[in-house]
Amino acid sequence: MIRARARWVIYVTLFLGLMFMLIPLPLEWRVIRPDAIALILFYWVIALPHRVGVFTAFCVGFLQDVINGSPLGLSSPGLMLATLFLLLNYERVRQYDGVLQCLVIFMMLSISVGIEQWLRSGTAVPLVPSGAILGVLLSVLCWLPTRTALRHLRRYYEVF
Amino acid sequence: MLLFVFRDHPRLAAAQRTSVDAVGSLAAVVTAPLEAWTELSRAFQSRSALQDEVLQLRQENLVLKGQAQRLSSALAEVARYKTLLNSVREVKAEPVVARITALSPDVARHSVILDKGASDGLREGQPVLSAEGLMGQLLWVGDRSSAAILITDGAHALPVQVNRSGLRAVAEGTGDINRLVIKHLPSATDIRVGDLLVSSGLGGRFPHGYPVARVTNVTVSPGAAFALVQAAPTSRLDRGRYVLVAVPESADMLEPET
Repeated sequence: MIRARARWVIYVTLFLGLMFMLIPLPLEWRVIRPDAIALILFYWVIALPHRVGVFTAFCVGFLQDVINGSPLGLSSPGLMLATLFLLLNYERVRQYDGVLQCLVIFMMLSISVGIEQWLRSGTAVPLVPSGAILGVLLSVLCWLPTRTALRHLRRYYEVF
Repeated sequence: MLLFVFRDHPRLAAAQRTSVDAVGSLAAVVTAPLEAWTELSRAFQSRSALQDEVLQLRQENLVLKGQAQRLSSALAEVARYKTLLNSVREVKAEPVVARITALSPDVARHSVILDKGASDGLREGQPVLSAEGLMGQLLWVGDRSSAAILITDGAHALPVQVNRSGLRAVAEGTGDINRLVIKHLPSATDIRVGDLLVSSGLGGRFPHGYPVARVTNVTVSPGAAFALVQAAPTSRLDRGRYVLVAVPESADMLEPET
């Protein structure tokens, strides 16, 4: 077991992702906000699967619900399931080229949004409008820049 | 699940207050650069523009004062009639001005985070107003910040009254920022496009008589039992940074007198 190094970088980036959620946007434009927190989470899951896993996904989803003011546990299960998929396949995903990785990220985001939508319909919370697909697509476009930025960060601080 | 079972537990209420405060301060931190920029651009506003603004506000103030004079006498008259009729006491509300710090990031919800909380006298359920009418109500209140749900939120509904005819109905939010709907109004009801809907005060949550929305569309399909009425909120819910929270003088004043 190698000792963890610079783990705080992971948590700081996740926290910045949460803050990104609160950047003011006009009410009708919120749908195009990229899901930064999910992208950051997915990056760390693929890069350091021994540090970031289902429990971190749960915590991230929990904090997301607190910030959203939605019933706790609305966004966790989707993120946890997507994280689980990535944990089982991280070696394969690492080998993929950019386009394929984007496709994987699109699937993961769809899983998390889909499960959240399902839970919403079960708990009488208003459903996410169909325009939110724009946000998912924009998040997919943001995947490669996010990956590059976080990779530089990871190498610079030698996070392990 | 456990959280659901214990959702009324006092300790959880404390945790909720703390979390509302935490989200409020986080939002304040995130929006701080934007605030600073707005302040800076205000500081560099030209003298003549400011003078124009002062002049305009003075004129507006004069007009409003004139209206208020008439209003106070009318209110006194109404109060006399009400005592004669021995009817419901009016809610006397002292407004608190709050600033919208952030919008809820949840795209399906229409709720805002305000920078005032329980320490400023806010309580859950108090109505949030803008200059043009009713905006929503407080959902969660922390010590120094609070979250308000807007009337257009898909999970919100409020009792309204058609100003012209006194007809009572329930206006439901749709998740669309400029649309409320009234379902379950009989097809033969007297409601027209352009009618003003005001809060009816039923249920005791919202005070009576604040403008809520204006009817934009009435669809009566032959054979259907109910007309579908759509209305647009009178207050610009997506504009403006300051809102009023109507704080009653005492909590029991929200309850109608029997």
